Amino acid sequence: MELFFQQLINGLSLGALYALIAVGYTVVYGIVQLINFAHGEIFMIGAFGAFATWTVMGRPADWPATTALLVLLPLMMIGGMVAAIAVAVATERFAYRPLRGAPRLAPLISAIGVSVFLQELIRLFFGTNPFIPSSSWPVRIPGWPDAKSAVPFPSVTGISGEIISIGGVTIQMPAVFTLGALAICTVFLWYFVNRTKTGRAMVATSQDPDTARLMGINVDRVIVSAFAVGAALAAIAGVAHGLRYGNIDFRMGFLAGLKAFTAAVLGGIGNINGAVVGGLVLGVAEAMATTFIPGQFGSSAWKDVWAFVLLIMVLVFRPQGLLGAKVVDRA
Amino acid sequence: MSSNPDESGVGVNAGEVLLDAHNVTMQFGGLRAVNDVSLRVHTGEIVGLIGPNGAGKTTFFNCLTGLYKPTAGSVEFLGEPLPPKPRLVVRAGMARTFQNIRLFHNMTAIENVMVGMYSRTQTNAIDAIFRLPRHRREELASTKRAKELLDFVGLTGSGDSLSRNLPYGDQRRLEIARALATDPKLLLLDEPTAGMNPQETRQAEELIFKIRDLGLAILVIEHDMRFIFNLCDRVACLVRGEVLVEGTGKVVQNDPRVIEAYIGAPATEPDWQQPGDRPGEGVADA
Amino acid sequence: MRAIIPDALKLQLRYPARAVGILGALAMAAAVFMPWAYGPGALDNMTLWASPSPLQLFFGVLALLVLALLAIPLVGKPKLGRWAHILAWNTSAKTSAISALAMAGVAAIAIAIELGGVVNLDPGAWVALVGGVLAVTATLFLPDSPPPSLERVKSAKWLQITGIALGMAAVLFGAAYGLGLSDAGAFLTFAAFLVGLVLILRQFGVFDWLSIAAANNRQVLVLSAFTVAFAFPFTQDGSDATMSVAAQVLIFAATALGLNIVVGLVGLLDLGYIAFLGAGAFTAAVLSESAFATIDFHPPFVITVLISGAVASLLGLVIGAPTLRVSGDYLAIVTLAFGEIFRITMNNLDGNDGPNLTHGSNGIPGIPDLSLLGFDFGQPHVILGIDIGRFANYYWLMLLVMGLIIVVFTNLNHSRIGRGWVAIREDELAAEAMGVNTFALKLLAFSGGAFLAGVAGAVKAHYDVSVTPDQYVFLESAFLLAAVVLGGMGTVAGVLIGATILKLLPEKLRFFSDYRLLLFGLLMVVMMRFRPEGIVADERRQLEFHDDSEELADEVEEELIAHHAHLNPDREVFEL
Repeated sequence: MELFFQQLINGLSLGALYALIAVGYTVVYGIVQLINFAHGEIFMIGAFGAFATWTVMGRPADWPATTALLVLLPLMMIGGMVAAIAVAVATERFAYRPLRGAPRLAPLISAIGVSVFLQELIRLFFGTNPFIPSSSWPVRIPGWPDAKSAVPFPSVTGISGEIISIGGVTIQMPAVFTLGALAICTVFLWYFVNRTKTGRAMVATSQDPDTARLMGINVDRVIVSAFAVGAALAAIAGVAHGLRYGNIDFRMGFLAGLKAFTAAVLGGIGNINGAVVGGLVLGVAEAMATTFIPGQFGSSAWKDVWAFVLLIMVLVFRPQGLLGAKVVDRA
Repeated sequence: MSSNPDESGVGVNAGEVLLDAHNVTMQFGGLRAVNDVSLRVHTGEIVGLIGPNGAGKTTFFNCLTGLYKPTAGSVEFLGEPLPPKPRLVVRAGMARTFQNIRLFHNMTAIENVMVGMYSRTQTNAIDAIFRLPRHRREELASTKRAKELLDFVGLTGSGDSLSRNLPYGDQRRLEIARALATDPKLLLLDEPTAGMNPQETRQAEELIFKIRDLGLAILVIEHDMRFIFNLCDRVACLVRGEVLVEGTGKVVQNDPRVIEAYIGAPATEPDWQQPGDRPGEGVADA
Repeated sequence: MRAIIPDALKLQLRYPARAVGILGALAMAAAVFMPWAYGPGALDNMTLWASPSPLQLFFGVLALLVLALLAIPLVGKPKLGRWAHILAWNTSAKTSAISALAMAGVAAIAIAIELGGVVNLDPGAWVALVGGVLAVTATLFLPDSPPPSLERVKSAKWLQITGIALGMAAVLFGAAYGLGLSDAGAFLTFAAFLVGLVLILRQFGVFDWLSIAAANNRQVLVLSAFTVAFAFPFTQDGSDATMSVAAQVLIFAATALGLNIVVGLVGLLDLGYIAFLGAGAFTAAVLSESAFATIDFHPPFVITVLISGAVASLLGLVIGAPTLRVSGDYLAIVTLAFGEIFRITMNNLDGNDGPNLTHGSNGIPGIPDLSLLGFDFGQPHVILGIDIGRFANYYWLMLLVMGLIIVVFTNLNHSRIGRGWVAIREDELAAEAMGVNTFALKLLAFSGGAFLAGVAGAVKAHYDVSVTPDQYVFLESAFLLAAVVLGGMGTVAGVLIGATILKLLPEKLRFFSDYRLLLFGLLMVVMMRFRPEGIVADERRQLEFHDDSEELADEVEEELIAHHAHLNPDREVFEL
C-alpha cells in the first residue's frame, strides 16, 4: 500500500508537469484547430531561458533558502517565461499566421519545421561550434556550456535535493513545486478564462471565430494571447523539469511534448480542465505501469510505450477524451 | 405533432414505397431540430419539402442520408432499414446534392462525375497497379458514362473545365450529374435553385422533370414557392422541426397555417438556429 | 530592379547599355583563358593561362550565352523574322549575366577561403567578376522583352524525342560530373552553374517545351530515364565513393516516394514513416543469415522482402485503423508517437527488458550481402570492361525497387483510387456522401505506403550490413518529409529532386553538416510560406495551396485541355 501511495505521488507530480505543458496544446487547438508541434520546444526554451537568466545573473550558488526562493527562483521563472512567450509569439506570427486558410497540411508541416529549427537553434546557440567555418567569429558565448549534451540545471536552495516524508512516503521538493505550480496556474487560468475580457474573448473565438470577429473581437490578438498563455505555463513546466531532473537538454521538448499532447487528448483536446485532468491521469498511469505490470514489460524502459498505447486506446474508445472536447462539430 | 402520410394525396405517378421515414426526431443537446417527422416517397414521385429558415429541413435531409443518426424514429429505404453511413446510403440507391455546393472544386467536371461512380465500380489497388483488364474496362466505361451524364444535364463540352471555373448554375448542374453518377433510385436535392435567376430556375425545373422521366424519385428542398408548386406531386411543409401540412401543392399552398408560417406570425418567426439554412448562404460559399 | 530604372531611361540608354554588356561578356569569355587562383589546391586547378579547367569552361558557357543574347538582336527584327520573339532576349541576357556573376562570385569566395585570403585570386577571377558586374549592370538598363514563345513551337516527334534524349544525357553527365567533385568549393561552384543554367533554360521556355514533349512521349521518357539511371555506374569507373552516395540517395528517394503516396496523394501527415522502414530492415535482419539473427528461419531474399513489407504494412494497419477514423491531425501525432514506440521497443527487445529479438541498441550486425539468382551483390563484377562494385550492385537493386514504387505511385494516382484520394483531400465529407469509402482508401494508402517502406528497408538492411534502432529516429522522418515538401507533394520528379538535394548537399558539403537540421527546419517553414507546392509543382496541389488564384486555375485548365490527358485512361501506363 505504501508503494501504491508512493507511486501515486510520483505519478501526480510527473502528471502535473505534463498538465502544465498540455494546457498550451489545448488552448491553441481550441482556438485555431492547430496542433502546435513546436509547443514541446517552447517548454524546452522556457527551461533554457531560466538557465540563461541564471547564467546572466552570474551563476549564483549557495544562496540562502529565503533569497533563493524569493529572488532567484522567481527571476529564473520570469526569464524562462519571457523567452518562451517571445519565441511562441514569433512562431505564431511568422510560421502559422500566414498559413491560416491554407490546407490543414501546411501549418502542420510548418510546425514540424519550427520544432526542428528551435531544437537546433538552442543546440547551436549554446554549442561550441562557430557559426561560420574557419573564421575567428564564434557566436558561442564564452563561459556558456555546450548544450550538445545535457546541461546541469542550477540548483535552488530549499527545493533542489530536499525531501519531505509523510508516513513512509517520500516526496521530493521539486515534485511539491510542480504540484504547487499546477495548482496556482489552474486557479489563474480559471480566473483568466472566466473573469477577464481576453479570456472571454478566447472562449468566444473558440466557439465561432467568424462571429467573434463580427462582434468586434480582435481574433489575431486572441490567438496570440492563447500562444502566450500556453508558453508561460510551458516555461514554468520547463523550470520544474530542470529542478526535478537536475539537467536540461535541447531534445527534452520532443518526448515531453508528445506526452503532453497525449494528456491533452486524454482529457479532451480543446478543454482546459481536461488537459489538467489528462496530465494527472497520464502521469499516474505511467507510474503505476512501471510498478504493477509484472515481468519484463513493467520495467521503466517501457513506460513511454505504455503512455502512447494509452493515447491510441483513447483515440479508439473515447476520441472526445475523458471530459469531452469543447470543440464544436462544424460539419 | 405527427402526420400520417397516408392521409395526404399521393402523387399521380406514385408506385411502390421507396423511402419511408417514420417519426424521425433529431435532438442536438437542448435543441430539437427535427421532431417526430414522417414522410414517404414513392417511385416516380417528386416530393417537395418547404418551410421557413431553421425549420430543420437540412437536418432532416442529413438524417435521411446517413450523415446524422436520428435520435429517435426509423428510416427505411426499399423496405430495409437505412444503413448507418453516408456511403452505404449511396450504395443503397440514394444520392444528394448540397445546399452550399460541395463539388471537388480543383477537379475537372468529368472527374467530379467519375468520383460519383466510385461506389458502382470495383477496380481495386491490384487492378490499378498492374493495369489489369478490369481497370481498363471500367475506366473506359466510366469515362463514357460520365460524358453521357454531362450531356444529360447540359454540360456538353465542359468536361475538361475545373469545376471551380464553371459558372454558378453549371456548378449546380454538375452536382446533380455527380449525384446521378451514383445510379440512385432516389435523388435528394437541397435547394437546387438557390441563387439562380428565373431563367436558370426554369432550366433546373426542366432538368428535374427529365430526371423523373428516367424513373427516379426526387425529394427536393426549396424556398422558391412557385418552383416547388410547379414541380412537385406532393409537398410537405416543415415548421420548427415538425410537419405542419402535407398534401398536393394546392392543399399546402392554400393552408392558412403555411401562409402564417411564411408571412411571419409571432410564433413562427424564423429562428437562425441552423447555420447554413439561410437563403443566399449557398451563393456566398460558391 | 525593374521599378528602379525608369522605362524612358532604359529606352534612351539601350545602345550604350548593350555595348557595355557585350564588353562585359567578352571580358568574362576572356577570363576563361586566364588563371583564377594562385595555387592549384583550390577548386579544379585554375592556375594556368590558356588552359581552362572544366569549371572555367562551364563559366564560359554562361559568358557566351550573355554574349549571344546581347549580340544576336543587333541583327535586327526584320532579319530575325519569326525568331525575334522566340526568346525573351533582354530578360534572358539579364538572367544569364546574373547567373554568371553569381558563379564567378561563388568561385572567388571558394578560392579565397580554400587558399586562405583574397590575395590568392589571380587576374582571371577579377576579370570575370568585373565583366560580370558590367554585364549585370548593363542588362539592367535594357528594356524588358515580351515573354518567349518557344513552348508554343510545334515540333516533330523525332525532335521531341531527341530533346528528351539530350535532356537525359545532360542529367547523366551533370550527375556524374557533380558527384565526382570531392572539393566542396568546386561542388558549390558547379551547383551555382547548374542553378543558373536551369533558370536560364526555364526562361527560354525549354522546360515547358520539354514537359509537353514528355507528355507526348511518355514511354520514351520513362525508358530513357531508366536507361540513364541504369547507365550511371558505368560513368564512375568502379569508384565506390560516388556509387555509395548514389545508392544512399536512391534508398532515401525510394522511401520518400513511398511517403509521398501518404502525404502527397492523400494528404495524411505521417511522421513515423521511418519506423516502417525500420520495421522492414529489422525484419530482414532477423531473417537474414547473420550470426546475430534471432529467428531461426532464413528464407530466400525474395520471400524476406515480402515478409518485411507485410510486417510493415501490418503495423500500418494497427496504427492506422484506430486513428484514421478520427481527425487527420491526430494521425500526425499518433504516427509521431508510433515512431517513438518503435524505437523504444527495438531498444528494449534485448533479452533484458524483453525477449531478445534485436539485441537492443547494439542491433543486428554482420548481415551478409545479398545473393540473387547466383548474382553476389558483395562481389565486384566486370561488365563491358568497367568494374561494377558492391555499391553499384545495390544501386541497381534500389533502382528496381524505385521503379516498382514509381509504378505503384503513378498507376494508383491515375485510377479510380487516385480520384478517390483527391476527393478526400478536397472535401472528405462530400466524398463520403458520394459513396467513396474514405476510411478504406486512407487505410489503403497508409498501409500500402508502409509496405513500400518495408520493402525498401529490407534492401537497406543488407546494404548497411548492420541494423540498429538509432538509425530510425524521428529526425529521419522529418528529413523524409522535408524531401517531399521541398521537391513537390504528389509528384515523382519533384520528390526525386528533393531527395537528391537533401541527401547530396550534406554529403558534399561536410562543413555545413552542423547546420543541416537548422536549415532544414527553416526550409520547411519557408517552403510552406512561399512555395508549399515544392520545386516541381503538381498542378492540383498548387491549386489547393493557392485557393484564391483565379489566374492559376485558368492556366491549369488550359493545360489540362491542351494535354487532354485524363480523358484517356491509358495514359502513364507502365506495362509489367
